[in-house]
Amino acid sequence: MIVPLPKLSVRAYFGVVTLVLILALSLLLLLAPPDGVERAQLLQFVGRFHPLSVHLPIAVLFLVALFELAGRSRHFSYLLTSVEFLLCVAICGAILAAFLGWCLARGGGSSGQLMTQHMWGAILVAIATWICWFLGARINVPRFARFYGFTLIATLGLVSFTGYRGGQLSRGENHMTQFMPAPLRSLLGVSASENGTSDSPRADPSTFYGARIQPLFTDHCVTCHGQNKHKAGLRLDSFAAVIRGGKHGPVVKVGDTKNSELFRRITLPPMDDDFMPAEHKRPLSPGDVKLIELWISHGASATQSAEAIKTAPPASIGQASVAEIEFEEIDPAAVAKERSALATIFSQIQQRLPNIVDYRSRTSADVVIAASWRGPQFGDAELGALAPLRDRIVAADFSNTAITDRSARVLADMKNLRQLRLTNTSITDATIEELGSLRELESLGIFGTRVTPSALPVIAQLPKLRHIYAGATKISASADVPASLKGKLVF
Amino acid sequence: MNDSMRHGSKRSHFDFDSERRSNRHFEQLQAQTRRHFLGSLTGGLGSMFLNTLASPISSMALGVERATGDTATFDLKRDPKNPLAALPSEFAPRAKRVIYLHMAGAPSQLELFDHKPELTKFDGQDCPASFLAGKRFAFITGIPKLLGTQYPFHQSGQSGQWISDRLPHLEEHIDDLCIIKSMRTDQFNHAPAQLLVQTGNPRLGYPSLGSWVVYGLGTENQNLPGFIVLVSGGNTPDGGKQLWGSGFLPSVYQGVQCRSHGEPVLYLESPPSVSPSQRRKMLDAMDEINQRRYAEFGNPETLTRIAQYEMSFRMQMDATDAMDIREESASVRSKYGSQLGEASFANNCLVARRLAERGVRFIQLYHWGWDSHGSSAREALNIGFAERCRQVDQPIAALLADLKERGMMEDTLLVWGGEFGRTSMRENRSGQEMKFVGRDHNPGAFTIWLAGAGVKPGMSLGQTDDLGYEIVKDPIEVRDLHATMLYLLGFDHRKLNYSFQGLDQKLTGVKPARVVTEVLA
Repeated sequence: MIVPLPKLSVRAYFGVVTLVLILALSLLLLLAPPDGVERAQLLQFVGRFHPLSVHLPIAVLFLVALFELAGRSRHFSYLLTSVEFLLCVAICGAILAAFLGWCLARGGGSSGQLMTQHMWGAILVAIATWICWFLGARINVPRFARFYGFTLIATLGLVSFTGYRGGQLSRGENHMTQFMPAPLRSLLGVSASENGTSDSPRADPSTFYGARIQPLFTDHCVTCHGQNKHKAGLRLDSFAAVIRGGKHGPVVKVGDTKNSELFRRITLPPMDDDFMPAEHKRPLSPGDVKLIELWISHGASATQSAEAIKTAPPASIGQASVAEIEFEEIDPAAVAKERSALATIFSQIQQRLPNIVDYRSRTSADVVIAASWRGPQFGDAELGALAPLRDRIVAADFSNTAITDRSARVLADMKNLRQLRLTNTSITDATIEELGSLRELESLGIFGTRVTPSALPVIAQLPKLRHIYAGATKISASADVPASLKGKLVF
Repeated sequence: MNDSMRHGSKRSHFDFDSERRSNRHFEQLQAQTRRHFLGSLTGGLGSMFLNTLASPISSMALGVERATGDTATFDLKRDPKNPLAALPSEFAPRAKRVIYLHMAGAPSQLELFDHKPELTKFDGQDCPASFLAGKRFAFITGIPKLLGTQYPFHQSGQSGQWISDRLPHLEEHIDDLCIIKSMRTDQFNHAPAQLLVQTGNPRLGYPSLGSWVVYGLGTENQNLPGFIVLVSGGNTPDGGKQLWGSGFLPSVYQGVQCRSHGEPVLYLESPPSVSPSQRRKMLDAMDEINQRRYAEFGNPETLTRIAQYEMSFRMQMDATDAMDIREESASVRSKYGSQLGEASFANNCLVARRLAERGVRFIQLYHWGWDSHGSSAREALNIGFAERCRQVDQPIAALLADLKERGMMEDTLLVWGGEFGRTSMRENRSGQEMKFVGRDHNPGAFTIWLAGAGVKPGMSLGQTDDLGYEIVKDPIEVRDLHATMLYLLGFDHRKLNYSFQGLDQKLTGVKPARVVTEVLA
């Protein structure tokens, strides 16, 4: 790069440095393209700033166009003086955003056609912006001036294209048309069914492949072996792609399950490193595996009709597998909101009665009481202190404590109690007779108390009660119990 | 020294309450020199760089949750002065506490729960070659003979589960048991197999089940340890005290072995001439020294130590009371078959119930002596084994009955089992027929049972082949059992982890574990 005028030396520096950076970035993309392998977290961390940074150059480039247009008017001609600065900002922004984008893609394990186009689009934007800047600085030379206009328009086109591809990457391929109103859709000639499957033709559902095999791949495999990620170069989102195989060759050998890599991988022991689906994703059920086995051994055809393979298990039975546990997702904000009304009073009571009062779980605003370990040090006064939480308490264990019938009213107010333990306390029928209000109660422990059968009619009213632990009381197995308590008393 | 301590505390899962932290942080900042700043700056950059080089699984130092959902950590911060404080579980738990009855030495499933009439038919015949190919045995050599079941089996209860005549008392509760006949392990010697069952890893240095549970949930009763171990049978299990060790977790979470008669913990009582008030004064003085040391170095283990002294002071009152089975009536003791002053499994079962009533989180009983090789009368299936069955049968039944009548089966999880199974073949040490009848170790299949909170009662899961040698249906790995136990306690086993040696260490290890949904009620 030659320095045409001494006055421009700062510009020249800028030009050389940015051009070198752009070239270096291109080399980086060539030598270390995003290849579908996840990498270091730091890369991903840095990469996450890509969406944040990417809007700056876009906005600035459109601003340049606006300034150029407005600057044609005499009133706004002063805007033209800012254009060069804006272009410099856009160049820097484009380089930075492209680099962060590379971090995101390289670190996050993305690859695919969309990704490639988005990436090189970004490089072209940076180069085009650089040329705009280069030409714009020489706008006084007429032959440069004409090119400047063309280049600026081309840059805007490129940045729109790149942005659109970026949107497709993050929001799905059909993100522009997905929620497009039907009239507009028909006006533009976008059909609903076409969305998102532009280059993976939908398999014909009347064929065995289309009806039974492709849905399995779609459910279990395409997150990693699909259009947007093709790990090991393998895609399983269309028949042609399945047959084409991955970077280690074909994965399906027609008529030969033993030598079909795909079949070998899904039938390995689940803890094998090569087992698919990898990373603890839900494995195929035995029925699913059987379907794939039959499909391969019957010639791995795309056209065979859905009914052609008689031995295939019927569609409904193929799904039967052991239920998997769905672990709840914790939404801390929702939990905090649910707890907020009583949060202060809860923490006060918890401070007074540590390790006795607690939430049922981290996902819950329900409160459980475990007082039995305090033994005689927990009495009516302590139980009374729980009163503000009465509506939240779902389980309470007062076994072996010093509570008496004086606490009956407080207990009776805990209307959401599902489990109550009064084992080995000095409560009597007087307490039990108050408990008719506990409509949610499922399990009641009165082992080792002085409760007598005359308290049972009150308990018998409780609609949800399933177990009453009544050993070592005045109630005996031979006692005359109300009909609704039959089979619920445990001795 | 000062510097390394501070770094240590940063990595630890302990943290200080916020006010204390901000004050201390301010003081630390004031004490920082430019040299400190530059040092940590370059060091920090270097460590960030090294982090990017490491493989994706080993970079927890950044503390970023990874997208796989597999390694999300779970906030278990506590006030270090109170490391055993109860914490709510991740989601609503089915079980609040665990009683684990480990039959050390591995009881024979073929004489207790796994009914194999075919095996009896082939008694005395040569073992099929396919049983021996590629297998390693502790003692079996050459071609052993098959050994028929030594005791008659019958179906019992509403659930019609098979059980032998060795456990008549337990049989009364057969409809409460969930029997898993398809457990398997990859360890065929006692110590590593016990370590695998109890710590999830056959090697030393990993935290035990109980340590993980207490680390995750804390314990209600602050006057007793959260994890108590009782040993009977005349010997400590082969795996040693590491079976209740805390591994890389803070030492406060290790199991405390208590004796079932006399002083529960040796030297817990003050010496005869020391009064409680003197003891208190001594502790206060020690606390003050420790506090000073903590102020100087900021090492949270110092606070843990203070907490432990305080705990032992409180334990002087409560532990003795909890362990004292003389407080139980003679009729209760006879129900367990308990004799005062013995170190017996019966006494331990009774103590276990008392501990469960007092809010102890994890109660672990070991009964030694189930290694029925047939090399001596004590190890013979028809002599020593029968005696062991007699020792545990009545106490376990009494424990189940007590928990049931108090309603504690609703929130107590019981686990019974050994560390592996026993072979369908008669042991032939050095190729000779032995004087007594016995079986060798079989890691390929063994039986455990679960009962209580959240477990489906009266069912059995899994199946072994006709000779009881290998699993043919529903194999359950030890880590699956662990995942299931943690699930019942309200945890996702993948999230209960602890950062150590660059890995989010988990009880269930790195291999995929599943919650055995079939046994959930």
